Amino acid sequence: MTALLRRYQFIVPYLLLTPGLIWLAIFYIYPSIQMFISSFWSGSLEHGFTFSLANVHNYTDSLSRYQEQIVRSVFFAAAATVATFLISFPLAYTIAFRAGQYKNLLLFLVIAPFFTSFLLRVISWRTILGDDGLLLGPLKSAGLVSDDVRILATPVAVISGIAYNFLPFMTLPIYVSLEKIDKRLLEAGQDLYATPWSAFRKITLPLALPGIFAGTLLTFIPAMGDYVNAELLGQTPATKMIGNVVQSRFLVNNDYPTAAALSFILMAGILVAVAVYARLLGTEELMSSAS
Amino acid sequence: MTTVALQPAARSHGTPAQRIRRWLGHNALFVYTFAAIVYLMLPIAVMILFSFNRPAGKSNFAWREFSFDAWLNPFAPLGLSDAVMASLRIAFISTIVATILGTLIGLGLTRYVFRGRAATNLIIFLPMATPEIVLGASLLTLFVSIGMARNELTILIAHIMFNISYVVVTIRARLAGFDRRLEEAAMDLGATEMVTFWKVTFPLIFPGILAAAMLAFSLSIDDFVITNFTAGSTVTLPMYIYGATRIGVPVQVNVIGTIIFGTAVGAVLLSTLLQRRDRAA
Amino acid sequence: MSEQHPSLFDRALTRRRMLQGTALAGVAAFLAACGTAAQSVAPSVAPSEAPSGAPSSGPSEALSPSPAASATPNPSPAAELNFANWPLYIDQDSSNPPKSPTLEGFTKKYGTKVNYRETINANEDFFGTIRPALEAGQDTGWDLVVLTDWMAAKIIGLGWTETIDTANTPAFAANESDNLRNQPWDPDNNKRAPWQSGMTGLGFDSKVVGSQTSMAALWTADPRWKGKVWLLNEMRDTIGLTLLKLGKDPATATNADCDAAIAEIKKALDGGIVRSFLGNDYKEGLIKGDLVLGTAWSGDIIQAQLEKATLKFVIPSDGGMIWTDNMLIPKGAAHKYTAELMIDYVYDPTIAAQIAAYVQYVSPVKGSKEAIAKNADKSVAALAQNPLMFPDAATLAKTHIFKALSADEDKYFNDQFSTLQGN
Repeated sequence: MTALLRRYQFIVPYLLLTPGLIWLAIFYIYPSIQMFISSFWSGSLEHGFTFSLANVHNYTDSLSRYQEQIVRSVFFAAAATVATFLISFPLAYTIAFRAGQYKNLLLFLVIAPFFTSFLLRVISWRTILGDDGLLLGPLKSAGLVSDDVRILATPVAVISGIAYNFLPFMTLPIYVSLEKIDKRLLEAGQDLYATPWSAFRKITLPLALPGIFAGTLLTFIPAMGDYVNAELLGQTPATKMIGNVVQSRFLVNNDYPTAAALSFILMAGILVAVAVYARLLGTEELMSSAS
Repeated sequence: MTTVALQPAARSHGTPAQRIRRWLGHNALFVYTFAAIVYLMLPIAVMILFSFNRPAGKSNFAWREFSFDAWLNPFAPLGLSDAVMASLRIAFISTIVATILGTLIGLGLTRYVFRGRAATNLIIFLPMATPEIVLGASLLTLFVSIGMARNELTILIAHIMFNISYVVVTIRARLAGFDRRLEEAAMDLGATEMVTFWKVTFPLIFPGILAAAMLAFSLSIDDFVITNFTAGSTVTLPMYIYGATRIGVPVQVNVIGTIIFGTAVGAVLLSTLLQRRDRAA
Repeated sequence: MSEQHPSLFDRALTRRRMLQGTALAGVAAFLAACGTAAQSVAPSVAPSEAPSGAPSSGPSEALSPSPAASATPNPSPAAELNFANWPLYIDQDSSNPPKSPTLEGFTKKYGTKVNYRETINANEDFFGTIRPALEAGQDTGWDLVVLTDWMAAKIIGLGWTETIDTANTPAFAANESDNLRNQPWDPDNNKRAPWQSGMTGLGFDSKVVGSQTSMAALWTADPRWKGKVWLLNEMRDTIGLTLLKLGKDPATATNADCDAAIAEIKKALDGGIVRSFLGNDYKEGLIKGDLVLGTAWSGDIIQAQLEKATLKFVIPSDGGMIWTDNMLIPKGAAHKYTAELMIDYVYDPTIAAQIAAYVQYVSPVKGSKEAIAKNADKSVAALAQNPLMFPDAATLAKTHIFKALSADEDKYFNDQFSTLQGN
């Protein structure tokens, strides 16, 4: 058998890929195509749906009707990504360069939240951020904050909820990139009279870019489609994201054409962002630094 | 790695405020890291703490009194044990299947150059870029159109589907640093390809496979949106929790969460300990 | 993953092998344990003979509940029944683990294992999960579901329910409350059986907002409750109550009325008074204190009073809404006969009293009030006097039902309401 394989060496990769790819073809590609077709439907649940290419207006209609939510999703996801980056970078830097023997412990602590249910984490935040909860309660009692201030049901709650959930996703790729940096490069920089800050700016930061990009994508993409945070922490119409809209369109209003159109708009936006990044880096790099 | 040299000198002069500032300046990163870790652990701490709570009614958000009640009866609420068992079953099976399929793909992608590589990359990447709600909705439509009843099996199929991508990405990251010369060396020494694979390659990539499997497991056990669509009459743990958020999450859910957390932590600690002893010995 | 020095190979291999082996062994053992502990529920296609024997010990889900059963007219209880309901809508005792006396009693009587799942949290969400199967004419996996009037009407109108064989449900036929019979959308009274009724009105923390009686409070920017007000995300409840506030009748609502109500609600929203549109989760907010005033469901508030005694529920002076949740047998259900047995079982006044005493909504079963009044526990017996659980004519006169909307109206109302919520 191995002799056969040796002769037809070129088959091997295809053999390896086939089982998984078949699975994805049946359970991802085919359903996606079906969804795409349904975005060209018009009609309703009761009267039935009909397909027509003229229904491309579903896309333009959805775009204009849900402009606010789309923009808001981009904004929230971007804000959360920035926040996550600002929190993660120093953390990853410390672990990579300053942690010494505690490196693995710290890495473990960073991943640890992952070991609890995502929903439970959001619920815990809901408890903590309550109007009289662990955060605001003492502040209000101490008079530092007026009584009608709230965090829940504001954009702040949603953004910080999203940011929190994606911290490991951002920290780990950055850490991996930073760790790979050859320390001798930094020594060389020092030898050439670079200050610590300019060494950081000119050596460390550029070399960390692949990790930063990977982390950013791993955060931004799911954040765009989030709806659990917006629902449990946001709770208010002013914080609804595109994920909430899709869910509502699909389940509440049975408006499948719009839901499908919105889904593909969302995906298109994400793919554009990814394509831009891929251009800058190449998908191989992307996949390998994401871990 | 830390600049240790300066510290003894600094201790000798300056006002307390100046010394504190200097200390902070040197250790800012550590202070920050400490704060960041606290921030990371806060919800978990709250979750664990509240598993020892005994609330007056059904909602568990205010501390009332310390009690082991929930721990002694972790499966008290109706349907919770079923949900947990369903989640565990699905997670185990989907992890195994997805890890196998994903590892094969990962091996194929990293070790061979072939036509269609870019396309494969894309197909692997797309499910991760697709919003979960789209994945769930499209799968549900598929199952209905082929007449398949929704139950644990369909959830399993869905979980395997999205897990494959994550397994591939993880494996590829680990395989990236793999030195092929080791295999060549083995083969130079007379090993056949099969032997080489099982005795050289596989043990080396096994940590990567294990990491991918752990990732797949945690993703599966925690998935809510996609599961919700493909579940039919089955209820998994996340679905149970989400439903409970409307009414009041029972304390036992915190207990289960703590147990899962503890188990995961324990597993990692155990493997680290074993590795350390291994290295030391 | 750094490379290993060749000399460490052997040790690394042995250790890894061991880890690998243990892991695999562990997994295998676990799966084996799972398999043996699990009651492999025989996926019987036709309802089987009533097996005697203990109710199941190991609660576990069969991998696939029996696929679309051929409706064998074999009148004997099935091995299992799949029952979906809202959370906390059935009685639960205080044993560990708690069981539902009602469900236990049913199992004891018929030997059927009841797979009771509290998986319904919103009508639309749940419908979204069963719609595709119903549309394709397949078994949804559920034998009995509980949905609110308007959703029940929608599903019945689409022909997606089984007809209840009234010969199998004598108690239901005899004991159903008269005012619930023969609704226009179920004229022959055989497509659904009411589970519980409830009222929508004002819920509030009297300690914070004092005593409130009118919906107008929700439009007043009083600092005591500004920003701590919620409205229900059930369209019919919120728009219904708003219409009543505007002096219109929800039973005859038109599209124009809908627009008026939406515009009115928008005022409260834009004024920063209303914070969220919520479902059952308002209860947690109320108890926590994040919310102090809003539209609520009667039974929820009664249950919540146990945790916060200052909570009150009133039917607004302008009028409140009344609604009913109904048991339905989805079309293609595998265990139709057993579902009918369950319907009949819960229409026994004693059983109905048992359920009502716990969930504290309005029981649709005649005789449940008397049964509760006879309860040995005084506090339970007192519930018979609770007007929110057993409303008298005066209370009922203040409540209204929402119009049964046509498909187009339903779409219009829902679209407008969704937009209001930002969806």
